[in-house]
Amino acid sequence: MAPQLRQSLFGVEFQAPVLLASGTCGYGREYAGLIPLDELGGLVTKAVSVTPRSGNPPHRVAETPGGMINAIGLENVGLEAFASEKLPWLRDNLARAHVFVNVVGRSVEEYAAVVSGLDGEEGFLGYEINVSCPNVEGGTMFGTDEAALAELVGRLRRVTERPVIVKLTPNVPDIGIYARICEENGADGLSTINTFPGMLIDIHRRKPVIGNVTGGISGPAILPMGVYLTWRAAISCSVPVIGIGGIRCGEDALQYILAGAHLVQVGTASFVDPAAAATVQEEISSHLVEAGVGSLSELVGGLRLPEHAPV
Amino acid sequence: MPSGTAPETTDILSPVRHRAEVVSNRQVATDTWWLELGSPEIADRAEWGQFVMIGFGLDHLAPPFLPRPFSVGWRCEDGRIGLLVRAFGAGSRRLAALRAGERVLLLGPLGRPFRLEPGVRVACVAGGVGLAPFLFLAGDARCQGFDVDLLYGELTADKVFDVGLIEELTGRPPIVWTEDGSLGRRGRVTDGLSTDGPVTVLACGPMPMLQALAGRAAREGLDLQVSVEEHMGCGVGTCQGCVVQGADGRWRKVCTQGAVFYASELKWPPS
Repeated sequence: MAPQLRQSLFGVEFQAPVLLASGTCGYGREYAGLIPLDELGGLVTKAVSVTPRSGNPPHRVAETPGGMINAIGLENVGLEAFASEKLPWLRDNLARAHVFVNVVGRSVEEYAAVVSGLDGEEGFLGYEINVSCPNVEGGTMFGTDEAALAELVGRLRRVTERPVIVKLTPNVPDIGIYARICEENGADGLSTINTFPGMLIDIHRRKPVIGNVTGGISGPAILPMGVYLTWRAAISCSVPVIGIGGIRCGEDALQYILAGAHLVQVGTASFVDPAAAATVQEEISSHLVEAGVGSLSELVGGLRLPEHAPV
Repeated sequence: MPSGTAPETTDILSPVRHRAEVVSNRQVATDTWWLELGSPEIADRAEWGQFVMIGFGLDHLAPPFLPRPFSVGWRCEDGRIGLLVRAFGAGSRRLAALRAGERVLLLGPLGRPFRLEPGVRVACVAGGVGLAPFLFLAGDARCQGFDVDLLYGELTADKVFDVGLIEELTGRPPIVWTEDGSLGRRGRVTDGLSTDGPVTVLACGPMPMLQALAGRAAREGLDLQVSVEEHMGCGVGTCQGCVVQGADGRWRKVCTQGAVFYASELKWPPS
């Protein structure tokens, strides 16, 4: 019998545990016809801000050892165009895959304006609140300030009844503290993690490769850090965690799931192979069959720690 | 000439993703290889100036980890496509080292193609590996009855792509320029562009070459289309990594709004 990948989370059923990560799948339509979007767990849209943002100058991306650096700068069409031009396609074309809208803002008011502006629309399940973009001024302001994060999450909780997921930055001394703040202020879940700040220098020109000077590092190079931080977050709170960072195969995804993630997101790997997310789902399924595990949910947080573990 | 924002190709077509076998790979000039791949779907659908993303897939962490964009340099009815590879860094060196029988991951065809109005006289201006799209276009367009000149510039003779092969692929030898005069005419390839009479100019090459042509196009009212290059992530418009600045100051995605732009769509530094 095929193993059970379904899980009930955030008030709905997820048919599978793999979502496409924000910033790597556009607004979904870009991958239509290329990958079976509606067979995935879902996708998280490119960030949406209250007004359009133009983004950073080139180069915006470059390869780094085992991954990449990016500084796109949250280029997006803005709330109004997202609702009128992008969301209808998602509503009309995805029946089973769930959509989270990634939300950014410069202030609590801006985040709240995006959420309240979209809340009456159809075509998505909930929000992923981006408090962790390393590539714009103030992008991690809410993600690295405990009081600001508490205020933001509390405010959004009062604006919407839809699921609110907070995407955390790895760039804090103890991610568990931020995980608890999110839970205490009403978040329904967490996404861990966003990119690590980084830099790449062209030694011939003696200049930064990236137009924004610095960028965020993603890809397989950050897998073990993502697993670690997802584990720290998951043991620090009781809301579901979505694991992100360097996943390119089923084994990578299962590390996150054993560390405590209910769902995972595939990001950079989709650039290398658009079929990556679907392949990760298939490989998770194959592993469950081989391991004689009937349901994926049995593995969530199923990490076996040694007795002397420093938890 | 159109300006402003053209529709993205994602509104028009979906690319194909598949594993393709290397048919052959041979060095044709210093640091330069001619790579033939078996890809019937892409060979069948590719239009002039479109590109493919080529990579090794997720088991391969060494460069190129991210796939790289290459212009479709040629296509054959038997399902082969040709790519022109110049080894600049670790990623392109690995592609240059591909051997027959190896497999690569291809995504394509991608991007907006060159467009020719019926009956126009065409001048293709190629700088370095900017030659690639014109190997495809010049032969094809000549077969369709277009009058096509191919001007091809390199720094030095040793970098010049096999002229015999260019003639084989395009039906005629190119007009070769080298900056040091070691082969063909001496000087910059843009010096060779004659704009007496109506002509559609298509260009692909280094940014200074494109800038020089764009300046001339603006002064002389030339119909100029340019194929531009920028670091690319996905190739299909999702990551928004590969931008160039449009004439209105807004960023344009090279992968889906280009890679071919009308010169009037882009912002150029004053020349």
